[in-house]
Amino acid sequence: MTGQSGMVDPAIFEDLQTRVDEDTAVRDELKDIVQALEKHNRTISFVLSRAHSTPTANLSSVLNAAQESIQKAIGTVTALSRSASKLPYYKFNSMWSRQVQDLIFGILFWGWLGGYQSNASTPKCGRLLTLPDLSIILAVPVNLKDRDEFHLTIEEYLQALISLVEELSRLARNSVTLGDYERPLLINQFVKDVLAGFQILNLKNDTLRRRSDGLKYKVKDVEDVVYDLSLRDLLPKGKVEGYVKVEGVKQEVKEEESSKKIKMEEYE
Amino acid sequence: MEGVKEEQPSSPYMAMFEGFRAELDEHHDRREKIIKASRDITASSKKIIFTLQRVRNLGEPVPQFVVKNNTQYWKTIESQYQSIAADLQGLNRHRYRQITGGNQEFMEALSFHHYLETQTLISYDASAARVATMSGEAGAVELTAEDYILGIFDMVGELMRFSITSMATNGKLPAGKPNQDKRIKREVSEEHTGDKMDINVQTSALTLAPEPRNVLSDLRELRLQLEMFEPPRGAKFYDEVEKKMKVMRECVDKVEKALYSLTVRGKERPKGWMPDANEDRRAIVESY
Repeated sequence: MTGQSGMVDPAIFEDLQTRVDEDTAVRDELKDIVQALEKHNRTISFVLSRAHSTPTANLSSVLNAAQESIQKAIGTVTALSRSASKLPYYKFNSMWSRQVQDLIFGILFWGWLGGYQSNASTPKCGRLLTLPDLSIILAVPVNLKDRDEFHLTIEEYLQALISLVEELSRLARNSVTLGDYERPLLINQFVKDVLAGFQILNLKNDTLRRRSDGLKYKVKDVEDVVYDLSLRDLLPKGKVEGYVKVEGVKQEVKEEESSKKIKMEEYE
Repeated sequence: MEGVKEEQPSSPYMAMFEGFRAELDEHHDRREKIIKASRDITASSKKIIFTLQRVRNLGEPVPQFVVKNNTQYWKTIESQYQSIAADLQGLNRHRYRQITGGNQEFMEALSFHHYLETQTLISYDASAARVATMSGEAGAVELTAEDYILGIFDMVGELMRFSITSMATNGKLPAGKPNQDKRIKREVSEEHTGDKMDINVQTSALTLAPEPRNVLSDLRELRLQLEMFEPPRGAKFYDEVEKKMKVMRECVDKVEKALYSLTVRGKERPKGWMPDANEDRRAIVESY
């Protein structure tokens, strides 16, 4: 089969096959790195899941353990960044986007619990790490525009932020179980602030939109916890900064309740 | 609700989210612009193909009415590529895969047109260069190897329609011109085998003209090439190729079946009943 005697020059398909095979080789190389990252993510989430059953006072050991796993993940991200920066970013980013989101979520949760730059013996909860923070932690650029290299995207950050809200709504309930009636208030304020942020975004019909639609239910879950605490007069009075706001919530919830009652009466 | 309204401006993350909003809006605008361009390129390509299906001869420039009719659509495609070229550069070169639909349909039109005029398959490099030229100064819109291959799969469907129409209206498969075929052969012989083939050309010129290739033999060759092609496993592209492979085989089968019934029916007819012109045709048909 040399030269073209018929319709198709065989060189055309030989060349295409080479191109496609090159892409496959690149993907195989990346796959190993991405799998390693996935493994680190599992360890991080395993370690951090202990936060649900650890009182705030003893959280330091959990956070230190998480930091160790995060450190290993950062090494993998460096390797990923090195390999991926040689390639067109958006041609291959679907390969690692999910894993990068999971890692960001792990770091956000860790940071929220007070793991980042904390010297205090009792970690302080409630900090939201920003994209620039993550850029420093992971040593990779964020939201790049001018050059085609590996970076973290806004979408990945927002996806991780949604995961954080979901995780915190679980933590709000578990805090109560641990006898901590303060943290649900903190979480309540935090998830509301995040929700307010998401509400100003114009999201199109994509996964981000679908997941962010679920945020309000998570916020409501946390509100329900706060409501349960306030009903039983378990809220720490005068101790929490956000107490006034919490009063507002209580008020609001009570109003809702009373309006429900009115509706019920109407039905009767 | 009042509570929420009061709290909104006081959220400490508002500035951050406003930044995100600006970025995402820009991204969505770009995306929508590209989707629209892709649709327009698809529509114009379909119109070009539609006109090309009225061509009856192979291996010569398409008739004037086709040129006249299609010029406007080529122009539309060009202006669409130009309008999005700047959005598909640098980091964003591969970001908006929504262009793939337009690229594939354009590939189908381009390769069909090219086949009708030259009876050969346009190469990937030539196709990508064509899109690059159309994209203008802002830089080339990328035509990927995947776009090219998927477009070629669809082109087989056009060749099928072209063959069936021709068999139904002229009672024969479209084939190349003997002269042209000889010319190609000579080019090949000069490149590769030198003198040896010259003798062949001479003898074939002395005897009957060499059998010109027809659409079916081209279809079979293309089928062979496409079947030999190995897409990467696990990718979305693999599934698309699988799907199109099935359709492509059906298309070739259809032409073979049509030709079969043409041949069988030809045999059935009493000799004297057939017009002379068709007698020739049958002789050709039988020898496939």
